[in-house]
Amino acid sequence: MKPVQLFCWHFMAYPYLDKDFDEKQYSGWVTVPNSLWDNRKARGLYQEYIDQLAYADELGFDGMVLNEHHQNIYGLMPSPNLIASALTQRTTRGKIVILGNLLPLHMNPMRVAEEYAMLDQMSNGRLIAGFAPGGGPETFNYDVPSANTREKFWEAADLIVRSWTEDGPFAHEGRYFPLRYVNLWPKPLQKPFPPVWIPGSRSPSTMAEVAKRGYCYFLSSRSHGGETHRAQQEFAAVLEKHGDQYHPFRFGILMSTYVAETDQQAREECEEGVWYFLKNCLKGHLRREGRQLTYGPGVPYIPTAAWREYLKGYTPGRKLLGDVENWEELDASQSIIVGSPETVHRRIQNLIEKAKVGNLLIQFQLGNMPDQLARKSMKLFAEKVAPALRHDSLKQFTDEFPGANVEQAAEALH
Amino acid sequence: MSGRTLQINERKVWILETGKGAPLLYFHGFADVHSVKESWMPFHEKLAQHAQVIAPAHPGCAQTDENKDIDIIEDVVFHYLEVFDALKLTQFDLVGSCVGGWIAAEIAARHPEKIRKLVLIGATGLFVEGALIGDVFMMAQPEYGSSYASLREMLFSSANQPNALEMFPDGKGELEDEVRRYQMLRFGSRIGFKPPYFYNRSLKNRLHRITSPALVVWGEKDAFVPRSHGETYAKLISGAEELKVISDAGHSVHVEKPDEIAKLVLDFLAE
Repeated sequence: MKPVQLFCWHFMAYPYLDKDFDEKQYSGWVTVPNSLWDNRKARGLYQEYIDQLAYADELGFDGMVLNEHHQNIYGLMPSPNLIASALTQRTTRGKIVILGNLLPLHMNPMRVAEEYAMLDQMSNGRLIAGFAPGGGPETFNYDVPSANTREKFWEAADLIVRSWTEDGPFAHEGRYFPLRYVNLWPKPLQKPFPPVWIPGSRSPSTMAEVAKRGYCYFLSSRSHGGETHRAQQEFAAVLEKHGDQYHPFRFGILMSTYVAETDQQAREECEEGVWYFLKNCLKGHLRREGRQLTYGPGVPYIPTAAWREYLKGYTPGRKLLGDVENWEELDASQSIIVGSPETVHRRIQNLIEKAKVGNLLIQFQLGNMPDQLARKSMKLFAEKVAPALRHDSLKQFTDEFPGANVEQAAEALH
Repeated sequence: MSGRTLQINERKVWILETGKGAPLLYFHGFADVHSVKESWMPFHEKLAQHAQVIAPAHPGCAQTDENKDIDIIEDVVFHYLEVFDALKLTQFDLVGSCVGGWIAAEIAARHPEKIRKLVLIGATGLFVEGALIGDVFMMAQPEYGSSYASLREMLFSSANQPNALEMFPDGKGELEDEVRRYQMLRFGSRIGFKPPYFYNRSLKNRLHRITSPALVVWGEKDAFVPRSHGETYAKLISGAEELKVISDAGHSVHVEKPDEIAKLVLDFLAE
């Protein structure tokens, strides 16, 4: 058994928007005018962000997390693989998690298979390979027809894993990506193949597909009330149905945190970055102001029957994370956990206890949070929160999951 | 209302039929029967006073089974060739609105012998440089939590047009209306999302193959398919008269001005 794995997730927001952005701009996604990009300010930004991730590795985080976004101020990583490539040469220890490459946006899944294999070699077997289908904004980013997104996604994901595990050349007679010669050079280092993580938002069909293949399910929700615990129970039930057993490292969640010396100081220091993140970065995505691109009838990727079920429980105009109006409301959503080391430890420990989750993917830098604050929070977390979480979770997981084999991938490493 | 199911190659196709007379196939668009409404609207009922109106729901719309193998407009054309056979129709009038107009034009260019007369209303389908067809998919994403005003604005003469408000209300509409709207967007996204949006670059150079008389009608304030598309259809179909523009109507001219457009269509069909 191993303790909870703590990862540092960086979204790489554009932090130089004017204070009146929310008032003047309709969206932070897809159509946000790129005339707002300011080279005088943005020079060196990637370096700052990469340095923060390298610092996470130094601090002893279990890994660094990157993901793919296009045409927005929320995340400046159209190609997370480029950042991952830099990290392979800047870090030596932690896993490099890409969560993930958006497969339906790539013309040929082999490119993803190749780049991930390169990254696995370049990092000495530290890659965790995430595949994601993309959601509403991504549909518009690259004009990806949405009705068949899921089928395309799984064909691509299966082809990639097959290309890592089966000797080539072979022909892939696929519906969406037929290929005459699949023959991967290089192969990934990890055997049988790098761990695969797939994000989902509690859709039973995604859980079933993940379970069928033995991958890790990552809950993409940013709110952690009772839903996180329910998602864990649902996934555990799906695994059992597939003759498999849940353990904490089959499951991961995304959360945000800020740690400072005291509760009061933590709130004061992070508040600007937090509101920048909620009101600017989430506008168009997890906010109802402007146009909500993430979910809606204009990106009809879920089957009609599932949409009918969704509509039955849907309340028009319901609040999303970015619509919180004050600090108390935000605090109650458990999306961003802010406080002293004691407070943050208690709240996260509580979450782990209930949700039995082994992979915590934690965002430290929020919105326009300055470098020194993000680093201070990461350091306090690593030194004052992480040890206690590791200690408590190891005990919990050992008691609750006796005999679970959680090291499959590492054991098989060459 | 009289609806029935055709069984074609393992798949069900839902059709509505009404009226007596020569057969008239009607292909629906976004604001229409099958795509919002369960049953006929005034425009169709007026046509039915002089024709046997047959309206199939496109694949995946209303009670027609979805077909995952539809990737491009060609696949829809072949779907409809099967429907015509199942209906034992050899020659008929073909009326299409919006995306339905695109499908009608594609069929007429391939099988001119099947079409007695062709009517295109606010039809998508053409690539006209500098005049992109609107982004109905983005407009279908809610604004400010629950507003579909910009979708109504695209499909009608104004966001507050009464039919528009009834068919695309803010918030949550009637469940089955909502589901039909979703199905139509899902069907539309299969054939019309890429390239953006709803055209086949090759269609323009095939329009000369259409031999039947044709009527091309556009709403004066069409904010979805620019009027230059109507002008192009009217110019390149040899049997087409000059483009007919209906004033004070948007893209869904058949919904906003049912009397006016029904009269135009019936006069044309009776000529």
